[in-house]
Amino acid sequence: MKTKHIFFGLLLAIPLFMSSCGKEPVIDNETMLDGDRIFDPSLYNPEAYLVSAAIANPSEIQKNTPVVISVHGYSASTFEWDEFRAYADVNANILISQVLLGGHGRTYEEFRSSTWEDWQEPIMAEYNALRGKGYTNINFAGSSTACPLVMNLIKNGEIGENGMKNIFLIDPIVISSDKLLSLAGLVGPMLGFIESSNSPSEEGHWYRFRPQETLRQLSNLINITRKDLQQGFKLPTGTKMKVYKSTQDSSADPISAVLIYKGLKNSDGSNIEIEMIDSKIHVVTRLEGREEVTQADRQIQTSVFNDIIKLLEK
Amino acid sequence: MNKKIALVFIFISAILSSQAQNSDQENDWLGELKGGVRIQKTQKLYNENGLTFDFTSPKMVNNRLHFGLSYVSTRLGSAIGSNAIKQDNFLLGIGYYFRDQKKLQPFTRVNMGYFRADYESAIFDALDNDAFLFSIDVGLSYDFKAPFSASLSTGYNINSGDGLEGPGTLHPVFYQLSIYYTIFK
Repeated sequence: MKTKHIFFGLLLAIPLFMSSCGKEPVIDNETMLDGDRIFDPSLYNPEAYLVSAAIANPSEIQKNTPVVISVHGYSASTFEWDEFRAYADVNANILISQVLLGGHGRTYEEFRSSTWEDWQEPIMAEYNALRGKGYTNINFAGSSTACPLVMNLIKNGEIGENGMKNIFLIDPIVISSDKLLSLAGLVGPMLGFIESSNSPSEEGHWYRFRPQETLRQLSNLINITRKDLQQGFKLPTGTKMKVYKSTQDSSADPISAVLIYKGLKNSDGSNIEIEMIDSKIHVVTRLEGREEVTQADRQIQTSVFNDIIKLLEK
Repeated sequence: MNKKIALVFIFISAILSSQAQNSDQENDWLGELKGGVRIQKTQKLYNENGLTFDFTSPKMVNNRLHFGLSYVSTRLGSAIGSNAIKQDNFLLGIGYYFRDQKKLQPFTRVNMGYFRADYESAIFDALDNDAFLFSIDVGLSYDFKAPFSASLSTGYNINSGDGLEGPGTLHPVFYQLSIYYTIFK
């Protein structure tokens, strides 16, 4: 190819690239979480979601009751853990703090401008608030992106010895199933955003539009976590972990469980517990809003809930 | 596994070398055989290093068609002293080189082969750990002062894992640096 051909090619490609940058999604404010009318309910009513806000002065019994900080994944909201709360209300004697990740549950613009450190911040805020109030049995249950966020806190020593008793990871993401996420920095500016296919019931609880800026944040977060696991680190003394992972998952590649198993050990160097689940669902603990749910899916959800409760009440 | 790989390379090298030792009349198809090391980086994943061989002949589109054989693995890269997954890539490639008389040669290549990862625990037996490899790459090759040459390329794996099937650490985009020593010419 002659030099002038390359030059003219670039002349054509650059305007095309520039024109594709900065595309804005068409948001329906009446139905979409992305808009400026629907927000996560925990923002209006934190007492219904956060134990730290609900109980001003916990009793000694409450301080020793298991509290689960339950955290949703990328582009989701507190809704992802509603079913666990409903199940636990009937079947367990535990307290649940449903934490909304930073930048989530608000407008598309707020989501777009948030970093993964912003997403992580409310987890530590609730953890510190609970410890400040004297809770002694703090636990964590996270789905998808909540998992690398908490693993990052562990790696950095933010959750110290005996800080958490149990950590439950549901379909953690360390490697994305969509391998093009690794190119988010390169092709992201050309795309502007990616539109997801929410069901009508999911529309008000998940962002439909995923800004490329947040995809890059997600890519950076999981890349840091993958490298940390490659290097290897341990859980704090007094903390146990169990991972539940679907064997087929179009969001979080199942290989993520292998990387966690190899890279993250108990404080005594022993292996953490992994349960591979014969399912194609990403986040097996959330079924509400899905268009197709089988009896097997319900059995898996109940089984995981029961297992978590059993380990909490041990 | 490592012994088997070494044996395959020794076997192929021995055949090619024995061919090179035949009479001049029989050697007119012989072009150049190069062997060397390959350093491969997958986009936002592992370093996989290993060995590579490249053969070309005046009978094959006048030295423009190259046949390659390579083995790269995290065992010789990211997995050394770390928790990276041990995985092996065995590749056969056919490349077309432009500007065959020049030191700097752009090229494009089609590669096929086999990928295998070792998850090291029966817990993960339900997950795919091997795959047929099919990739294309484009790059530049440069002939330094004989007998050394090098090539730099970027490629795309067509059949990377998607969470539903295929190994999860088989990623699409990779970059390669190969440094060759000319075994015969």
